[in-house]
Amino acid sequence: MIRKTLIAAATLATLATGAFAQDKLRIGVEGAYPPFSFKQADGSLAGFDIDIAMALCVEMKRDCELVEQDWDGMIPALKAKKFDAIVASMSITEERKRQIDFSAKYYKTPARVVAKKDSGLEGTATGLAGKRLGVQRGSTHQCYAEKMFPEAEIVLYGTQEEVFSDLALGRIDAQLSDSLISQESFLSKPEGADFAFLAGDHTDVDCYGEGVGIAVRQGEEELRDAFSAAITAIRDNGTYKTVNDKYFPFDIYGGRPDGM
Amino acid sequence: MDLLIEYRSQLWAGLVTTVQLALASLFFSVALGLIGAWAKLSANRTARALAGAYTTLVRGVPDLVLIMLVFFGGQVTLNAIGAATGLWDYLEVSQFAAGALTIGVIFGAYFTETFRGAILAIPRGQIEAGISIGMSRPLLFRRIVWPQMVRYALPGFGNNWLVQLKTTALVSVIGLQDLVYNAFAAGRSTDALFTFMAAAFVIYLGLTALSDLGLRALERRYSRGVQRA
Repeated sequence: MIRKTLIAAATLATLATGAFAQDKLRIGVEGAYPPFSFKQADGSLAGFDIDIAMALCVEMKRDCELVEQDWDGMIPALKAKKFDAIVASMSITEERKRQIDFSAKYYKTPARVVAKKDSGLEGTATGLAGKRLGVQRGSTHQCYAEKMFPEAEIVLYGTQEEVFSDLALGRIDAQLSDSLISQESFLSKPEGADFAFLAGDHTDVDCYGEGVGIAVRQGEEELRDAFSAAITAIRDNGTYKTVNDKYFPFDIYGGRPDGM
Repeated sequence: MDLLIEYRSQLWAGLVTTVQLALASLFFSVALGLIGAWAKLSANRTARALAGAYTTLVRGVPDLVLIMLVFFGGQVTLNAIGAATGLWDYLEVSQFAAGALTIGVIFGAYFTETFRGAILAIPRGQIEAGISIGMSRPLLFRRIVWPQMVRYALPGFGNNWLVQLKTTALVSVIGLQDLVYNAFAAGRSTDALFTFMAAAFVIYLGLTALSDLGLRALERRYSRGVQRA
């Protein structure tokens, strides 16, 4: 954006007021992925992603505006300049890196398979062979499921909520998703009472990459680096911990949550 | 139920967007439908070919694909034009305008066929009679074509409208916060997806029931002087 702005300013010095670069930073968020981002009754957004985005804006001393966007259109909207960055629990992957750039990670939790407690299933390629395994469409989990469980019948859903609903209804045998999400949105709820994690953390770098980062358009190194620096800064000054502790009983930045 | 009451402002805002979007797109599609029907029945070969291409193309492509294409593709094209000419860095394509326009264009194709069929249903002799007693073209349209066309078109019109009303739900992919988007977001945020989907179901049913009443009143009005078969 900066470079294009400069070109525009050079070609049309009279029209380009130079205000472009100082514009509000627009951040794309999802609003349907509790506890990372969700909508409150008055329509306002809340959650870990939202608070982190705001904390980073304060750290970078930028004026920010949150833009709600459905997950399916998230990357197209970023590329179409509907907003300048995505803070929506988007994992850093090689596949996505071909289209967009990422800051350093701002958290990383392992993925785990969830099934009925008495299912006797094992979270391995042979253990899930022929079983119906649910994942969210277009997610890192789909990539991993297709790679690691080629013999399983992979069932795709638009949202993680639908995956949980169908698991509870018995339409699928197991589901693969982020351990934290499974814990918070399913296992700790009444409908998830009969379900448990299968053994094994899944952290494959090819699919899950380096963790969850903030996405920006390619060629915007300055903004990307500003986000990375701000993440380090809020880790150091305690802001991250304040936000983290508001939502989670453990630090989700690096390792895996205790007792899961 | 408590959740629904808590999130009522969200549901209401979504309902308003849905109704506004449906009405705005209805306006576009009826206008396009009238133009399309006129073109298809016109003696002008180019007009017939253009209208034919329009209805074939639009009716043959999934609605969702068209919406994504207009919204994201349109934005990228606009950005590219801006970058090439240096005139702007970013121009916002309004989600509402993009949604209303796309749905309007899609249903304009269906309305074209509805109106064409209705005009064809008017006995040719009546028009010839009108011409023979020296009616001007506008008068012929107002007195003979329009009242009967509306009567013949109403059942198809009602059909199109009900489908159109529900098609507005597709705009949630472009981030427009219609009833479905807001109900989904609320449902996912509160882990009560079913409750909110059920609420959306009832609200849509209410809207279609209302539409039905309106359509029936219109049918009565335009069937005056005609015996029910």
